[in-house]
Amino acid sequence: MTAPLLSIRNLTKEFPVRLGAFGERAATVHALDCLNIDISEGETLSLVGESGCGKSTTGYCVLNIQRPTSGSVIYAGTDIAQLDDDGMRPFRRDLQIVFQDPYSTLNPRMTIGEALAEPILFHGLARKSEIRDRLHQLLADVGLSERFASRYPHELSGGQRQRVAIARALACQPRFIVCDEAISALDVSVQAQILNLLLDLQQKYGLTYLFIAHDLAVVRHISDRVGVMYLGRLAELAPAAALFVQPLHPYTRALLSAVPSTDPRAARTRQRLQGEVPSPLAPPPGCRFHTRCPLARAQCRSDVPPLREVVSGHSVACHAVSSPTATNWEHSPA
Amino acid sequence: MTDGTIINPPEDRPSSLWRDAWRRLRRNRLAVAGLVVLAVLVFVAAFGPWLTPYDFLSQNLDARNLPPSLGHPFGTDDLGRDVMSRVIYGARTAFLVAVLVTVVAVLIGVVLGAIAGFYGGRFDKTLMWVTDMTMSVPQLLLVVVINASLKQPISLWMEARYMETMNPLYRNSAIIDFVLVFGSMALISWPPYARLVRAQVLSIRNRPYVTAARALGLTNRIILTRYVMPNAVGPLIVAISAGLGTAMVLESAFSFLGIGVNPPTPSWGNMISDGLRVWTNYPHLLLAPAAVLAVVTVAFNFLGDGLNDALNPKGQK
Amino acid sequence: MNALLDIRGLTIDIDRDSGPARVVDGIDLTVAEGESLGIVGESGCGKSLTMLSLVGLLPNRIRATGGVADFAGKDLLAMSSEELRRLRGSQIGFIFQDPMTSLNPVMRVGAQIAEALVYQSGMAKPAAMERAAELLELVGIPSPRDRLMAYPHELSGGMRQRVMIAIGLAGSPRLLIADEPTTALDVTIQAQIVDLVRDLKDRFGMSVVWITHDLALIAGLADRIAVLYAGTVVEDSPVDVLFERPTHPYTRGLLASLPTLTDKPMSRLPSIAGTPPEPGRRPPGCPFAPRCALVTAVCTTSVPRLAPVAGSAPGHRAACFVTAGEGAS
Repeated sequence: MTAPLLSIRNLTKEFPVRLGAFGERAATVHALDCLNIDISEGETLSLVGESGCGKSTTGYCVLNIQRPTSGSVIYAGTDIAQLDDDGMRPFRRDLQIVFQDPYSTLNPRMTIGEALAEPILFHGLARKSEIRDRLHQLLADVGLSERFASRYPHELSGGQRQRVAIARALACQPRFIVCDEAISALDVSVQAQILNLLLDLQQKYGLTYLFIAHDLAVVRHISDRVGVMYLGRLAELAPAAALFVQPLHPYTRALLSAVPSTDPRAARTRQRLQGEVPSPLAPPPGCRFHTRCPLARAQCRSDVPPLREVVSGHSVACHAVSSPTATNWEHSPA
Repeated sequence: MTDGTIINPPEDRPSSLWRDAWRRLRRNRLAVAGLVVLAVLVFVAAFGPWLTPYDFLSQNLDARNLPPSLGHPFGTDDLGRDVMSRVIYGARTAFLVAVLVTVVAVLIGVVLGAIAGFYGGRFDKTLMWVTDMTMSVPQLLLVVVINASLKQPISLWMEARYMETMNPLYRNSAIIDFVLVFGSMALISWPPYARLVRAQVLSIRNRPYVTAARALGLTNRIILTRYVMPNAVGPLIVAISAGLGTAMVLESAFSFLGIGVNPPTPSWGNMISDGLRVWTNYPHLLLAPAAVLAVVTVAFNFLGDGLNDALNPKGQK
Repeated sequence: MNALLDIRGLTIDIDRDSGPARVVDGIDLTVAEGESLGIVGESGCGKSLTMLSLVGLLPNRIRATGGVADFAGKDLLAMSSEELRRLRGSQIGFIFQDPMTSLNPVMRVGAQIAEALVYQSGMAKPAAMERAAELLELVGIPSPRDRLMAYPHELSGGMRQRVMIAIGLAGSPRLLIADEPTTALDVTIQAQIVDLVRDLKDRFGMSVVWITHDLALIAGLADRIAVLYAGTVVEDSPVDVLFERPTHPYTRGLLASLPTLTDKPMSRLPSIAGTPPEPGRRPPGCPFAPRCALVTAVCTTSVPRLAPVAGSAPGHRAACFVTAGEGAS
């Protein structure tokens, strides 16, 4: 194994909020709780989970767009989680992000060319005289003609805007891109185009992706490894192939079972997860999934299950699962 | 398939945001009417001295208090001055004051509001406290107090400067009036702009394109000036249009009360004030300036409404 | 089977500054008594507007300009707004996409459900509250009597959508229209809501029209699926036939471009090039022709009509010159 490109260590994020009509009650949203992941160069690591699981927060904290409450993010030997804006600036070129909503991700008052040229000129990556060629190449990379450079965002379709957003992320020749639900808001027929584009660009430039999504089929399609998150913690982390063939955590199994299938007969005979995700304002003690878990035992209500590697590269945080074969699935009432 | 395929933009370009807004504005008849009225008024104010048949100061004691006629379309006043010339000159005063006050207020408001909204923190809290305080005191009262307390010290200071330098500029009391009255007007007019800009900036600074700009490593100054502010101008334009009208009314109100522009410089406010005293006998002296003021105020309101609809279209495409 | 709803040749226009632009261009759809129909299409294909036009809820500047929509023997498009108002809720229930903005934030959920009952069936207030509690129980909300007093913001997204469904069911409608009711929800909650609606439909024998952009989602729910593209129905088929034998190139493209849990990872997905046409900028001929891999000369000049797919199950129709055989006008 080579050294990871990026190491996330004990990353924790809490948001103070004020509740009540007059903000009289202080509370804390526990968005992310002691997350540990290594991301290798050139891989696609996906984080999946339901809303409030902390997957987007992870992306923002890794890029230091939101400052983590504690923990570190080691990139190129530096703990970037501790850096301020000025200290972060040189790293911004390497670490980029593509957002979910193509309609608000571009400044409506700037042409596509201006939007793409800004980071290049700001970081001094090209001279004014070279900028035209660079724009041409960037737009070509994302499958757009040079003529888009003089257009404004409102003249573009959602898919085209998302291509521009990807080009903007590429403008500084980054090594790592966070794709925060980058295709979720797009139309079905356009999603596949953008997924293909992301795969092509990864091949061409050796990019590393942190892919944040809720669509398991999409995640399975493009990921090397997948982390399943629940209420701010990793439930399971495994190579994509292993996770989808042999999901070990009860939450992963439930998520997979909830994926709509295009086979009408299969679709009507699935197991269902009952209840809803508890509030991150007051996450349950012990295993945070125990309130919905069909296997929950007394231990799950009090002890936090550690993330253990049960097979090489396949880790799971569940008291009921000690190895891929020795689970108590068979004895479960569900 | 993405490999090799290059997408071309559609040939027919949809119109720009501003052109769209302009087209919507043009379709709004009231707004266009307001715009025409204001254009005429600006023209008259700018070229007033070359348009008026009489000097606004020249008195003709043989032709006092004449009713409107061909020679004097708005009649003459108690000193035999041509009312139309004075109304036209009053437009200059009104516009000059409105523009000066609004420019100063908008500059203060935009800078403070943008900084407060963007950076937040203690500066934001202090600014909001100041605007709350200012906006909770009646405007007229505030201006009167400022005038009353500052007029004398400033006059004394100017007199002293005059003695030192013998520069006649320091003897010109009109300057004191202008600076004091309109300075205090600007001082009470900026808080609404600051609040508006702050609210705009607060909502814009969390848009994904601003976060994206931060992720690109751009500095706060660039983000504020190139990403946040250009997207906040729409509502600001609407507010400025309404603010110009308010400033004009305010100027008239002060002059009416005798704390604004002093005679003999004509202002709609002091003309209305003079006219009010004799309106039972010479109603034209009251009607002419009052009607013009009313028309201008309404024009600004129509234009402001039209701009609002044009710049913030909801539920229509 | 009797058709409960029969839409023929529906057209809907948007009034633009530059003149009317056609969004829905001659849609034919039928929903039988007790049947569930899935309407699938991408944004802007007119799927939501079609259903909103039936109950007179089209937004400003958008109007139904032609066609008939026969509901239980009466043309909905010809009804007065008063008649439609009475129909909404009692005969036709509606569930919207965003349960947060569709509920009144300052009204307790019990009162909101009861209000629907009081207005629709003239029920007395206490009886209506009683019925509201029953409805909440019906849609699977635990301790329904306590929840009656809750405000919408005190409920989770899934719970709010259940409340919306309870309101939709309040008048015991014969037709329930669900407009992307699960788009804003998480996968596990989505699945719960789909199951709930299917159970309710089976229990009460209502007809359901479920609008979505997610083909896979309604595979388990719909009896029949209509695929919409650029304001027209391009394929209309029993659900199992559609997935076994997708016929229109657009349907095929959509199905192929969906990543599934069984395809080959990291492979390029077959995608449909281009984007759907804007309303008012439809090409002449088949609206899908510019993006279609099978396009022929006739596709760019004439508009294909929905026609039975030769050799397929009865009730399977597609609008394509190439794959559905005949159908040219």
